[in-house]
Amino acid sequence: MLKVDQLVKTFGGMTALAGISLTVPDRSILGVLGMNGSGKTTMLNCINGIYEATAGEISLDGVSLIGKAPHAVFSEGVGRTFQVPRIFPQMSLLENLAVALLNKGLSNAQVAEISAHWLNKVELYRLRHNYAEELSGGQQKLLELARIMVANPKLVLLDEPFAGVNPSLALLLIGIIREMPQEVGCSVMLVSHDLTSVYELSDNILVMHEGHVLAEGNAEAIQKNPDVIEAYLGA
Amino acid sequence: MSDETRETRIEAQNPLSASQKNPEKTSHIKSLIWGGVVTLIILAFLPVPLFTTNLSFMFYMMLWLTMATSFNFVAGMAGYMPFGYVAFYGIGAYATGVLYKTFGLPIPIALAGAAAAGVAIGLLLAPTLRLKGVYFGIVSLALAMAMKLIISLMPAKITGGSLGLILSGANDPTMAYYAMFIVLLGALAAGTWLSMSRLGIALRAIRDDREAAEVVGVNVVRTRLKAWVMATMFPSLVGGVEAWYTNAIDLESSFNLLVTAKSIVYAMAGGLGFLVGPIVGASALYGIDQLIWRHFPTLNLLILGVVIIALMLLLPRGIVGAFAQRFSRFRRFIP
Amino acid sequence: MNELLLQGLVNGIVVGLIYALIGVSLNVIFGVLRVVNFAHGEFIVLGAYGAYFAQQLLGLSPLLAMPLVFLVFGLIGYGLYFLLVQRLSRSNDPEHASLLVMFGLSLVLGALMLLAFEADSRSLNFSLEPPFLMFGNVILPTTKLLGLGVSVVITGCLAYFLYRTMPGKALRAIIMNRDAIQIVGVDLNHLSALTFGLGLGLAGITGIIVSMIFPSFSPFIGQDYTLIGFIVIVLGGLGHPIGAVAGGILFGLAEQTAMVFFSGTVAMLLGFVLLIAVILIRPAGLFGVQNLR
Repeated sequence: MLKVDQLVKTFGGMTALAGISLTVPDRSILGVLGMNGSGKTTMLNCINGIYEATAGEISLDGVSLIGKAPHAVFSEGVGRTFQVPRIFPQMSLLENLAVALLNKGLSNAQVAEISAHWLNKVELYRLRHNYAEELSGGQQKLLELARIMVANPKLVLLDEPFAGVNPSLALLLIGIIREMPQEVGCSVMLVSHDLTSVYELSDNILVMHEGHVLAEGNAEAIQKNPDVIEAYLGA
Repeated sequence: MSDETRETRIEAQNPLSASQKNPEKTSHIKSLIWGGVVTLIILAFLPVPLFTTNLSFMFYMMLWLTMATSFNFVAGMAGYMPFGYVAFYGIGAYATGVLYKTFGLPIPIALAGAAAAGVAIGLLLAPTLRLKGVYFGIVSLALAMAMKLIISLMPAKITGGSLGLILSGANDPTMAYYAMFIVLLGALAAGTWLSMSRLGIALRAIRDDREAAEVVGVNVVRTRLKAWVMATMFPSLVGGVEAWYTNAIDLESSFNLLVTAKSIVYAMAGGLGFLVGPIVGASALYGIDQLIWRHFPTLNLLILGVVIIALMLLLPRGIVGAFAQRFSRFRRFIP
Repeated sequence: MNELLLQGLVNGIVVGLIYALIGVSLNVIFGVLRVVNFAHGEFIVLGAYGAYFAQQLLGLSPLLAMPLVFLVFGLIGYGLYFLLVQRLSRSNDPEHASLLVMFGLSLVLGALMLLAFEADSRSLNFSLEPPFLMFGNVILPTTKLLGLGVSVVITGCLAYFLYRTMPGKALRAIIMNRDAIQIVGVDLNHLSALTFGLGLGLAGITGIIVSMIFPSFSPFIGQDYTLIGFIVIVLGGLGHPIGAVAGGILFGLAEQTAMVFFSGTVAMLLGFVLLIAVILIRPAGLFGVQNLR
């Protein structure tokens, strides 16, 4: 279970996160909604150690993630994707996945087996020897997802997974995300401003606004929440 | 290009590459090519002393092959540009000279000492590995100058002062030739291991996208440190063997920036990041360079500079890199 | 206070301001264009030769040669931008590519100077009346004072240009955010070429001041100035146009006081130690806006 408690992040005089608290229970999907600049990506960067939190506590299954470097956070079982996919362009797909398995103490055969499994899942197996830069933007997002899934994470942070992905690949992606909690056994934090897919996938939804939590609840409650309606439609 | 068209393009291109159906063949062909290149190198250099006593041309060719290959470890695989690369060459030369001349140790031990000195200095400079790209390059150059100043400040009894050191009594060009041959083979072996090992994968991931590598669990600092240590050992050995070959060491030639410049040019002309890159580059340019050097020494620098500029503007990925880009189907076969 | 030390401190400020000038022009080029101008030192030496030949052939005093050299070097820079720099932005790794191209250029310029002017050192025939002023026991050569004055004026002009005029503000905007400026409709290419010209023009003027103050110059010393420039801007903060002034003075002071107590070699070494210490303790430089790590 991921627990974020009163997380604050400031840049110079600007406050990006003003005390965010949330939990992601095991085997569940938390959707995070919010406008551009509401602090969603900043929060992900704090959780996985790219930014150092100004104040507050972040823990995964009771182990604090504060002060850990990104590679150490990954070893604790937190995987993360980026809004613009960040694959290793000059390496083959298989090599891309192998990077995430370097410190797992696996044999080459095990690495090959796990990689084949996930490349099949994201329907890129036939391209496994191609360089990652030859993939389309949407395929790169799938590769990026496979790259964290091979490491069998406890929690994955997905930053705008559907942005720039064509409809058929988006469907594939939605299918994979949907079965993550039960089949893979990991929990998901799904950051997006694509309302439909967030409503459809999430067990629980958090709406962020200007570094605060504006509302929290299930899809139905969020859709009816007057604050959310005002923040999205009003002003 | 939209997603759809790109996907069809890849789809259409796939049947062309045989490796799709038989992936194991890819790495097989790649190893075969690399094995062939290494065999060719061995056959070209091993018998030379049997035929001639004029070893210089081939000796220095091995020297540049080694320098360019190990430069590729840091520049091509870890994504650093150590402009002060010459520092390790100079340290190796001086360590060999001081251990042999001042302390009276035999040459093989002096050479081992040179490698150890290079690695030790490399570790001492490890904090600079935290610097981003170009800043690392600049600082590394400053450190090379500092190294030269430090040696010049050391007592002349040890380093020979401004006169340098003459290793009289160690004169054995054939042995020195084979020592360089072994160092070259060592560098090729290290490169082979790097490209196949997990360390090599981690390094290339860092080179491609450092932050993304960190996010999937690569300890960037530690990984780079390993490549750095490997890359510091070879120039130190090369400097030491060269000192043995010429029997003379002095500050100006041991810390000549040209050593870095030529390592860069040869590695880049071939193509950074490919094992064969530095070999192709050094083979293609070394002969030309020798010709110019012998006939017009001042033009040497001028032409070297022009070649660097031209390479960067016209062939930024080098000969092998340009080939790989033009014929991307064959890219996976290039070691 | 020890008079030698006082003399060292005074020299430090004079030399430091020249170093600052080197750093400022390097920083403008790096900040705006992300080009690491490795050939900067060679342009400084060329500036010194410019003053030398202006004096020998045209009978111009170094002060009068300054605007001429600034203009000529500015034009060369403007042209070189389109010849060398512009296409680098399309490279995979523009910063490294620029470093390598400029490294090549520095080799070319060094070799050309060697061919054209030969290896022996030259010095400018330049003196003022009286040759020096005495403050207590501290000796101040008037040429150094003049150099100091010129450096201050030029730094002041540059600061005014960067912070008070429209093109200067646009340049600083590019330093902060290169992408945003394109949206505002600034002709980035033209402005970039002007910046490169400005940087080289300043390097030329710096060369003239150098030739007035230091006893001699030769084709070989370019690289030393480039290194000093880099030390200065790392000390002051990369990309920070005026931070280099503080870095330059700091480095000048450290070097000149060390020269009093030890040798020139130790003084140079001290500069490198200072550089490494700053990088390890304060990676953004003393006034840095961006991290080096």
